[in-house]
Amino acid sequence: QTTTTTVPQGDVDTLMQQVADEAGLELNMELPEGQTGTIGTSTQVSQEQDELTQRLARLRQM
Amino acid sequence: YPQDMSQLHPKNPTGPGPGDPLLAKQKHHHRRAFEFISKALKIDEENEGHKELAIELYKKGISELEKGIAVDCMGGRGEVWERAQRLHDKMKTNLAMAKDRLNFLALGRKLSTPGRR
Repeated sequence: QTTTTTVPQGDVDTLMQQVADEAGLELNMELPEGQTGTIGTSTQVSQEQDELTQRLARLRQM
Repeated sequence: YPQDMSQLHPKNPTGPGPGDPLLAKQKHHHRRAFEFISKALKIDEENEGHKELAIELYKKGISELEKGIAVDCMGGRGEVWERAQRLHDKMKTNLAMAKDRLNFLALGRKLSTPGRR
């Protein structure tokens, strides 16, 4: 028997979100492919290119 | 109510879907370019990283970006194609920046090599 099973789901979610915020993570980042469809994946593709731009720009300033 | 039904089940509301060969090709090259350049950046961002390896990875990424940019996505209409056109522009930006970085690294290597040995 463990005590973790008695913790309300809401508390767990809150804690998860807190940890994610501290680590700068996005919990809902991975939505199922079927629900996001082309919009989700295309936006992700676009964001990936933005990320490269930002990182390349940062290196240039060093 | 046929109109309501179509709203509930939209089929390709913006024209060609992701299955379009040109868009798939563009995305494929984006993906590979992203993987190569991400790896190059990771090495490059470390001060004592292996710049030789970063240079090789930048070269591969640049080649993939060029292939992705070569995909003609300017003729299509609709949201899906507009996104592809924006991706095209972003890849062009990154191509120029990655080339700059590659030149910078290649130059630094040439300058530092004779003195070290």
